[in-house]
Amino acid sequence: MRAFALGLWGAVLLQSSLSGRLDLLLSGVFHPLVALSGVALLLLAGLLLAELALRGQESPAPSRRQAIPKIWWLSAAVALLVLAIPPNPSFSTLAANRPAELGDETELSFVLPPAQRSLTDWVRLLRSQPDPSLYAGDPVRISGFVLPQPGEPPQLARLLVRCCLADATPVGLPVRWPAGRPPRADQWLALEGTMAIEERNGQSRSVVVPQRITPIARPKRPLEP
Amino acid sequence: MAQLATAWAIFQGLLLEALPFLLIGVGIASLARWLAPGGAWLRQLPGHPLLGPLTGAALGFALPACECGNVPVARRLLAGGAPVGTALGFLFAAPVLNPIVLASTWAAFPNQPWLLAARPGAALLLSVLLATVLRLLPEAELLDPVLLEERRLSQPLAQVGLLERRSGLVGAIDAKAQPLKVARPPLQEVLQHGSREFLDLAALLVLGCAIAATVQTLLPRSWLLAVGGAPTISVLSLMLLAVVVSVCSSVDAFLALGFAAQVTPGALLAFLVLGPVVDLKLLGLFRVLFKPKAIALTSAAAAVAVLVLGQWVNLLRL
Repeated sequence: MRAFALGLWGAVLLQSSLSGRLDLLLSGVFHPLVALSGVALLLLAGLLLAELALRGQESPAPSRRQAIPKIWWLSAAVALLVLAIPPNPSFSTLAANRPAELGDETELSFVLPPAQRSLTDWVRLLRSQPDPSLYAGDPVRISGFVLPQPGEPPQLARLLVRCCLADATPVGLPVRWPAGRPPRADQWLALEGTMAIEERNGQSRSVVVPQRITPIARPKRPLEP
Repeated sequence: MAQLATAWAIFQGLLLEALPFLLIGVGIASLARWLAPGGAWLRQLPGHPLLGPLTGAALGFALPACECGNVPVARRLLAGGAPVGTALGFLFAAPVLNPIVLASTWAAFPNQPWLLAARPGAALLLSVLLATVLRLLPEAELLDPVLLEERRLSQPLAQVGLLERRSGLVGAIDAKAQPLKVARPPLQEVLQHGSREFLDLAALLVLGCAIAATVQTLLPRSWLLAVGGAPTISVLSLMLLAVVVSVCSSVDAFLALGFAAQVTPGALLAFLVLGPVVDLKLLGLFRVLFKPKAIALTSAAAAVAVLVLGQWVNLLRL
């Protein structure tokens, strides 16, 4: 049972690494650690099995067999569930529980030409240089998921993750959606258009005016560092 | 339904992130068991009320493990007969006082030099305080019965009675309390023991992550941060956040970076100091060390101490 349970957890870690599931759950720096731990656990399970086989040959009746704690069965069941049911989080539900706040920028990043900026690049740039007149008319080519906002039209957003999904922070850009066709929450879209200025609550802010909206599948690596 | 799916994903994220660190911790504990069998050096550690916890905290530099990893190491220290104060000092301070965590704090807050000194300082202070408070309880009321039994076997007969130890010779002369010379255990035994420990802790980790994921999905985080501006309430809300979020101490600085601008400095420090000592995920793991009463005492004492600390920092820096 012990070798089985260890092997099971090893399989969970390794399968999560190989199937790309980690891209959806953890920040990239931890991926090799998870894979290595999975291999280590599988090796350990193999060693235990080999030892058990050897001991079985020496003494056919293992007398000192210990009772298996109930909690191991429970955790093995959870491991099987983790293997069987891949995560499928709703990003907008996740983001709804989080304040949309960016920390102070720690690293200095170069400013890319407008059409090459990702959604996160745009949000960071707008935080550091909020004057909307600087960007009016700039071409925009971004992708993200639709994040409903209370009291205003939905934004196009991405999740920033430093550790795992538990610390995900949403960053979003306001979008002037075409009339009569509100986007569905959580849907992934690619937008092409231009930056414009809009007045909201007496303040002017940058808004994306899309010329082309294409529904896309969730990217393989949906989380941004 | 969407909430359930999200909670399931957060659960997997927390669990997959913590399991490797748990494995590293069990690995260190098993290695110590193999390299220093009998743990004679453990009993040489100082039992002085102040020096003990300080030594334990210093061990964090030698045995870098984050909060999930250091529970098995602390258990090994206690089972091997190390003074309670030293082991507790290690348990509570090592998650912060280790090179990995200090480096990540520096990486996240290079422009806040006070925090780089305040975080380890506060963690040290808290660990000494918690060790002092918990030492007030007799060992039988503090430690988990299984651990206590293992510990009794490694303690010299001069310190524990035969009845407590449940083995030994009546009338044996043991005045000098020399620890027995223990042969190095065969590698198989170390493997068996380590794997059993890993599975026990993994099961508790599953429980802790499940609680943390559920609470996180149901409780909007904006509630916790909405009160960020007011000094006392901001400290309290970030303490609550630290307990709920349950991220590893090696990465919590990056998480704190996400809302550092919105909260008071005392609250920020409270988050970084309380999280590694008490959180929902750890409460499960602590079951292998302490009795429930001792866990409650740890949580209460840590909460009060961190609140006072946070207030004090706010007074100094606001």
